Amino acid sequence: MFPLFEEPEFAEPWELWVRATFLHQFVIENGRWLWPTLESLHFLGLSLLLATIGLFDLRVLGLGRGIPPGALHRLIPIGIAGYAVNVLTGILFFSGFPEQYFYNAAFWWKGTFMAIAGINVAAFYLTASFREVKMLPAGADAPFRAKLIAGTSLGAWSAVLICGRLLTFYRPPFFH
Amino acid sequence: MTPLEAGFDWIENTSLSMWVRGESMFAFPLILSAHTLGMGFLAGTSAGIDLRVLGLANRVPMSELAKFYPVMWLALAVNFTSGTLLLIGYPYKAFTNPLFYVKLTLIAVAVYLLVRIRREILLQAEPAETVLRRGRSLAMVSLACWVGVIFAGRLLAYTYSWLLVGMPNNF
Repeated sequence: MFPLFEEPEFAEPWELWVRATFLHQFVIENGRWLWPTLESLHFLGLSLLLATIGLFDLRVLGLGRGIPPGALHRLIPIGIAGYAVNVLTGILFFSGFPEQYFYNAAFWWKGTFMAIAGINVAAFYLTASFREVKMLPAGADAPFRAKLIAGTSLGAWSAVLICGRLLTFYRPPFFH
Repeated sequence: MTPLEAGFDWIENTSLSMWVRGESMFAFPLILSAHTLGMGFLAGTSAGIDLRVLGLANRVPMSELAKFYPVMWLALAVNFTSGTLLLIGYPYKAFTNPLFYVKLTLIAVAVYLLVRIRREILLQAEPAETVLRRGRSLAMVSLACWVGVIFAGRLLAYTYSWLLVGMPNNF
């Protein structure tokens, strides 16, 4: 699906820098128990993200129309917490084996979809869309623009998840 | 080879099993992606409903949350199918790992709680305080089960002692 990346023969300066950090040492030394724990937390985090943002998006798209979207929006901080867990665990993953991510097409696709999801979040909160949706009473249909944003959100986060899951299959061989 | 091992050996040698284990990006990697996506939507949506039952976002009418159940049943169907395919690919790997049975048990409990929460809490017109209190207990156990399912599922990749019949881990 994705092209395989070539890894340089010698580690680049950025990689040497990552490998000199405390985080790198910490992950490498505790990998046996830490790595599976971090992965489990990463999966919990993504579930919380989907739980809250997914429910909200589906309501905007018209499922559970009897819910005023503003009421459902109260769950969003839980999703942001899940996202924060995933950023932190993600930084630890990258610190441990930087070249496994950097020279990995799935990683860059994941980043691309995260950027799309991020721009989409900005498009929702920085335009009139959020105010329009928040004011909707129970039973009301959301405006088309909000539905477009909700659909993009579901698609982009699903793509982030899939690319994340595919990371394993596009890793360069362990060299350094 | 015991009869049980012979059975697993037979499954491992079917063309479907070999396809799942094979090089195709549309086999193991995509089945795994579907399984993770299904997990996110099933555990995630269920957790969202649990949070509402626990009192968060309490202006959300509970009966409306019953409408999200088809999303979870779809996700469960996707995960049953993708999980079965993964099992066909590596039957011995999963069935010889005690943690796999822990995961299956926790999923069964979580799905049972999902049904109970819908019937006993979400669809009650004017739930009494005792009902709401029971709902909070069910929601807490539901959340704990999903955390357990996710940890157990993730740890399966690290705790198996056999990969295929006759092939120990780290062979």
